[in-house]
Amino acid sequence: MIKLDAKIPEGSIEKKWENRKFENKLVNPANRRKYKVIVVGTGLAGASAAASLAEQGYHVQAFCFHESPRRAHSIAAQGGINAAKNYQNDGDSVYRLFYDTARGQPGQQLLLGAYSALERQAGLKTLEISYRHEMLDLVVVDGRARGIVARNLETGELTTHAADAVLLATGGYGNVFYLSTNAKYSNATAAWRAHKRGALFANPCFTQIHPTCIPVSGDYQSKLTLMSESLRNDGRVWVPKNKGDKRPPAQIPEDERDYYLERIYPAFGNLVPRDVASRAAKYQCDQGRGVGPSGLAVYLDFKDAIKRVGHDVIASRYGNLFQMYDKITGDNPYETPMRIYPAVHYTMGGLWVDYNLMSTIPGLFVTGEANFSDHGANRLGASALMQGLADGYFVAPYCIANYLGGEKLKPVKTSDDSFKASVNEVQSGVDRLLKINGKQTVDEFHRKLGHIMWDKCGMARNEAGLKQAIGEIRQLREQFWQDVKVPGSGADVNQELEKAGRVADFIELGELMCIDALERRESCGGHFREEMQTSDGEAQRDDDKYAYVAAWEYAGAGKPEALHKEPLAFDNIHLAQRSYK
Amino acid sequence: MSETLNLKLKVWRQKNARDEGKLVDYTLEGVSTHASFLEMLDVLNEKLIKQGDEPVAFDHDCREGICGSCGVMINGAAHGAQLGTATCQLHMRHFKDGDTIVVEPFRARAFPVVKDLMVNRTAFDRIIAAGGFISVNTGSAPEANNLPVGRETAEAAFDSAACIGCGACVAACKNASAMLFVGAKVSHLAHLPQGQPERFRRVTAMVAQMDSEKFGSCTNTGACEAACPKEIKLTNIAQLNRELLRASLCR
Amino acid sequence: MTNSIPFLRTTIGKKMLVGLSGLGFAFFLLTHMAGNLLLLVGPEAYNEYSYKLTSTKLIYLAEAGLVLMFALHVFLTIQLTAANRAARKTPYERGAGGPKRTSFVAKTLILSGLVLLVFTILHLITFKYGTVYTVTYGTTEMRDLYTLVVEKFREPGYVAWYVFAMLILGAHLSHGVSASLQSLGLTTVRNCTAKKIGWAFAALVTIGFIIQPLYLFFSGGAS
Repeated sequence: MIKLDAKIPEGSIEKKWENRKFENKLVNPANRRKYKVIVVGTGLAGASAAASLAEQGYHVQAFCFHESPRRAHSIAAQGGINAAKNYQNDGDSVYRLFYDTARGQPGQQLLLGAYSALERQAGLKTLEISYRHEMLDLVVVDGRARGIVARNLETGELTTHAADAVLLATGGYGNVFYLSTNAKYSNATAAWRAHKRGALFANPCFTQIHPTCIPVSGDYQSKLTLMSESLRNDGRVWVPKNKGDKRPPAQIPEDERDYYLERIYPAFGNLVPRDVASRAAKYQCDQGRGVGPSGLAVYLDFKDAIKRVGHDVIASRYGNLFQMYDKITGDNPYETPMRIYPAVHYTMGGLWVDYNLMSTIPGLFVTGEANFSDHGANRLGASALMQGLADGYFVAPYCIANYLGGEKLKPVKTSDDSFKASVNEVQSGVDRLLKINGKQTVDEFHRKLGHIMWDKCGMARNEAGLKQAIGEIRQLREQFWQDVKVPGSGADVNQELEKAGRVADFIELGELMCIDALERRESCGGHFREEMQTSDGEAQRDDDKYAYVAAWEYAGAGKPEALHKEPLAFDNIHLAQRSYK
Repeated sequence: MSETLNLKLKVWRQKNARDEGKLVDYTLEGVSTHASFLEMLDVLNEKLIKQGDEPVAFDHDCREGICGSCGVMINGAAHGAQLGTATCQLHMRHFKDGDTIVVEPFRARAFPVVKDLMVNRTAFDRIIAAGGFISVNTGSAPEANNLPVGRETAEAAFDSAACIGCGACVAACKNASAMLFVGAKVSHLAHLPQGQPERFRRVTAMVAQMDSEKFGSCTNTGACEAACPKEIKLTNIAQLNRELLRASLCR
Repeated sequence: MTNSIPFLRTTIGKKMLVGLSGLGFAFFLLTHMAGNLLLLVGPEAYNEYSYKLTSTKLIYLAEAGLVLMFALHVFLTIQLTAANRAARKTPYERGAGGPKRTSFVAKTLILSGLVLLVFTILHLITFKYGTVYTVTYGTTEMRDLYTLVVEKFREPGYVAWYVFAMLILGAHLSHGVSASLQSLGLTTVRNCTAKKIGWAFAALVTIGFIIQPLYLFFSGGAS
């Protein structure tokens, strides 16, 4: 029986980390070279951790499935970062930051910083980067994470790597929905395969939907582009009052427009939190007031802001975003309102970890979006950057050192049986995919999965829909393994094969997300159950029954996963119902 | 304007680095003008897979112009004819019905073709590893507000730092020169106080690495500046030249 | 530790030498053009000027400098061009059109340079090492270069070739001067200044050089 022990240190919230660092076991600097740590993923969290560990003297091997670590999707986080800065007189503090994060209320250069720190260590030869290598399995020896199996994406070769600890920093699983603001390569495979080796997967149903994305324009659509949330500072969200009003926006008179966020939430107006804004947009479109060719969009209008502060001020604030919008849609937001619609953006769930970032498999550490921690049910915008950096630069290196210093690890070699068994399993999975030679492409399956998830496990969920979704996903999985077409061979670059493996995992994860969503009969952050709302349509939590982390244990192919509950303890704040009215 | 296009494509197909490679003709009907260039390639690939052919391999990831993964030559122009645009941000509305589009990989001796339109740009990583960083150990950076940086300096540094490392500058240059890439990184750090201690060592090491990667030299044609999706200016190259000269005079 | 290459062996160092020698030669061309304008004044002015110029010992030093600069410019350019050609083995099927097209002149600097190399050699053979006429002004006998020049500039074929070569020179300078300033790191954010300097300089030198054969051809020159 797995016991979930979060291992939270003693003391007040400001002192906890200090106390933990003091308790931690140390590794003699001269001995660090003897310990090998594998870091999978080289985004913000992975690159910062790998560089820090290498600086401290550990033998680090970083795995990057991109051509270069600088391609990681952390690069797209351009909004900002949350941190407690010591500007004088603004009353900020660690406590306030924690409080704002729990209450639920900048990126490219950060990744470049982590990337250059990583490349610096690579140049100093203290760390080795394996480019275009994708982790396909975790090797567990005597109950401990001791290595990985990776596929060289250029040659197709499966390689094994042994280590004393493995750190996953492999990002989130938003691409379960096919269309999301995630990069196309972002996937859950590394985390999911670790899950199948025994790491518990926590709160998979908590997904964050971002309200301001460019809407879908057709079947060929491959991803959704996020427009920064800052636009809501000056843009006013509206839909036509009349259902099915297809007039161009300029011809809809002021008194026939419904600025619904300002109307329903007079206190916060257009700046209500992401989930509230998203659901409100969905509601308007479901009522038939959506705009654009698909009817799945609302207007974000800058006309009044331009009138108020002038074209130039708006251009200096949002010039780049307006240009980006124009490039994608061919519309000029200075003249006609933007069309926006919510899209999947971030996944709060992930592999369960304790305070030390260690999963339920000893020696397997998980950081960044890949783990479930820090964000609860609803991430505050820009907190993920802080999490990735803080965990990578400061927390993970100490925790991994504590593990290595405290354990007597017996040596393992890649020629050991457990490695061979893992490779054989991965190889047979690859062969199986190539052999099916069915009629449907991998993307067709992925799109179908995305539709099921978005319709039934998206912004709003209900019992009947979730049950139906679970059935549909099981059918889809069966079809996938009978009818998917993966051309080419496994012996060179085969992007369809790469995708096929990831989609197979997404299908399994999608099912678990629906099961988790079905089990949680309350509305909470990114998870909105239609049965559980207040009379005026707000999310209703049920803290008596559901104040716990749902951590799922893999039980073997085709068997239902086992649920473990980690109760939530709130020592520093009191739970309260949100209100933005 | 018509909402769909019928296109003739000439796409570079090359099995691997050792293969000769050649342009292969395809026709594609009913491409939406709202699709991006990469989505057009997705549609082509779906069609090829259904026909039992191998799809065209190409690198891509974020599809919003920031990761620098994508990049092909479109009718001889890196990332296509639109200025300040990465391939993923180029939309099909800029093409006409019946157009013939030639799609080739970014070509340079330093960027060997991996497969089809996919090339290996790790030469850029090696240049960064040679000196494109600040030697402060992670986690020990000083409080940023203690180092004042003027607004103009910060903006100049930021303009140079906008580079996404896509390699379009190399691809567009008739000499396959990496000077704009290296110039942008050197200028970026040379503008900032944090970059000063290693200023000379950095430029020397990065230029040495650049030359050893067999990129060509700069003949100031400005093709790189025109091709850059982030519109990084040619003056970054002048700054690189200055920095190297200063480094060799002052060391 | 850090790998480094001696400055003058880096591509950037070599480019600086190319730029520096190019600018040096461009300055020489300006003085050459200005001196030659005496052709428009008359035979005595021109011959006296060239006599004074060649009778000082410093001329050997200046000539040696010019030869060295020229040789360095040509040698390094050919060396860099060979490396540049090797930097892309498979050529593109098509060149860029539209806003990403680059100037033909800028892309073909090596070709205009080769034309100028041929021109320079022929130019030296025709004039410096050509027929020696003499003339006496007062008591001083000197070379009558003016007569040789007029003789050559009466041949339509020679004038056509000369004007063609000067247009090529103009093209070479129009990119070469601003490119040299850029190579030497002398351009800043407002780099259009360097371009303007380049164009103005090229126009001045080219027009100055072209006026001379045309004037002599159509006026027949003084005898």
